[in-house]
Amino acid sequence: MSFDIEIILNSIPKILMGIGLTFELLFLSLVLGTVLGIFLLILRISGRWYLAWPTIVYIYIFRGTPILVQIFIIYYGLPQLEFVRDSTVWPILREPFGCAIVALSLNSGAYLSEIFRGGVLGVDRGLKEAAAALGISVRQRFIYITSPIAIRLCLPAYSNDTVSLMKSTALASTITLLDMMGIARTIVAETYAPYEVFISLMVIYLIITWVIQRTFTSIEKRMSRHLRREA
Amino acid sequence: MSAVSGWWDDFFWGSLVVVELFFVALIMTILFGLIGAGAKLSNNRVAKSIASGYTVVFRGTPEILVLLLFYFGSAITLTAIAQIFDPEIQFVDISPFWAGSFAIALIIGSYATETFRGAFLGVDSGQIEAARALGISSLKTFIYVRIPAMWRLALPPFGNHMLSLVKDTALVAIIGLEETLFVAEQAIGYTGKPFIMYMVVGAIYLGFSTIITITVTGLERYANRHLDVTR
Repeated sequence: MSFDIEIILNSIPKILMGIGLTFELLFLSLVLGTVLGIFLLILRISGRWYLAWPTIVYIYIFRGTPILVQIFIIYYGLPQLEFVRDSTVWPILREPFGCAIVALSLNSGAYLSEIFRGGVLGVDRGLKEAAAALGISVRQRFIYITSPIAIRLCLPAYSNDTVSLMKSTALASTITLLDMMGIARTIVAETYAPYEVFISLMVIYLIITWVIQRTFTSIEKRMSRHLRREA
Repeated sequence: MSAVSGWWDDFFWGSLVVVELFFVALIMTILFGLIGAGAKLSNNRVAKSIASGYTVVFRGTPEILVLLLFYFGSAITLTAIAQIFDPEIQFVDISPFWAGSFAIALIIGSYATETFRGAFLGVDSGQIEAARALGISSLKTFIYVRIPAMWRLALPPFGNHMLSLVKDTALVAIIGLEETLFVAEQAIGYTGKPFIMYMVVGAIYLGFSTIITITVTGLERYANRHLDVTR
């Protein structure tokens, strides 16, 4: 057993060729997941049971099953069904990339809507009551009073979930996608040097995690600057 | 559904493997979490920095990467060690079960470390001082005062860790453990019906998640029973 520096130096550039795909998976599914999460949140807090119940079931199913199983159902399972092959979404679900995006978005949408709900529930009732007393409509209250505060409250959890999503993108390698994880697995299969290759990849992922956390910390600081005492 | 009918017993044994893996990993998770929390709360700088390094690394890298690193890495290390004693040996590897449970426990243990640390800090220091004033030894204080008080605070987040844990067991199918996802892959090889097979796996995991959620709710009620004023 040896720790081969040469393999590390050779594999890092190869692994980094997959960083674009990792970022594409992360950003696309984060954006789509956020939109879905907001949509689910609005249904959930609509106060109408026929809108809220399907949302609760959706969230329960997507949070209660492993994301790997969800990816497999969408990638291997759906093409088996005739009506999926005939539908307009087939060009997306035919490609592993599309399947990964769909699975990651549907999954993160479920988690994010719960995070958003936590933020909305954390908004002080008094503020909403004050707005209602001033005659501000329900919709305007949600957009101008609740949302800005809720966004600030759920930022730390949103940051954690972005990191979780980044970690989940590595599962795309199980459906033949060559993201960083996929490339690393190919290199290990060729060189049989798991320590060198996987630890290098670990360091790359840690740097990405660090950047995500730093970005969110600075956004959070900016958003709560009015709460800091003047020096 | 008829396609699944011949596979129920296989899915049952696969589920049993998930249960086994869950409990073995759970015990290790609690152990790693307590050790990590102890190290983080200690005054020893070396222990503190090792524990922080542990939580940063295992919370910031994809689960599948840690799993593959442990599985392939341990095979190389064990082969090298075995060859010291007997150069004839070609290859030694660790079973997917133990590699999987160890890797998963390390990952969830890093989350548990933070949870336990926060919970230990949340225990009222007056209780510990009172125990000391009564002449109770620090070991007994730890077992009879700090653990029960801390457990109550740690339960809700730890319940979420248990859900992550059970969902992560699906990943161990990637390294060839005969759990439900692996059974599904075999069944698909025979029947060519991926959708229904993966749906069964999803349903099994949803069942496990439900059982864990109900158990944790019950445990929380038990842990907080002295706070229940209506009794």
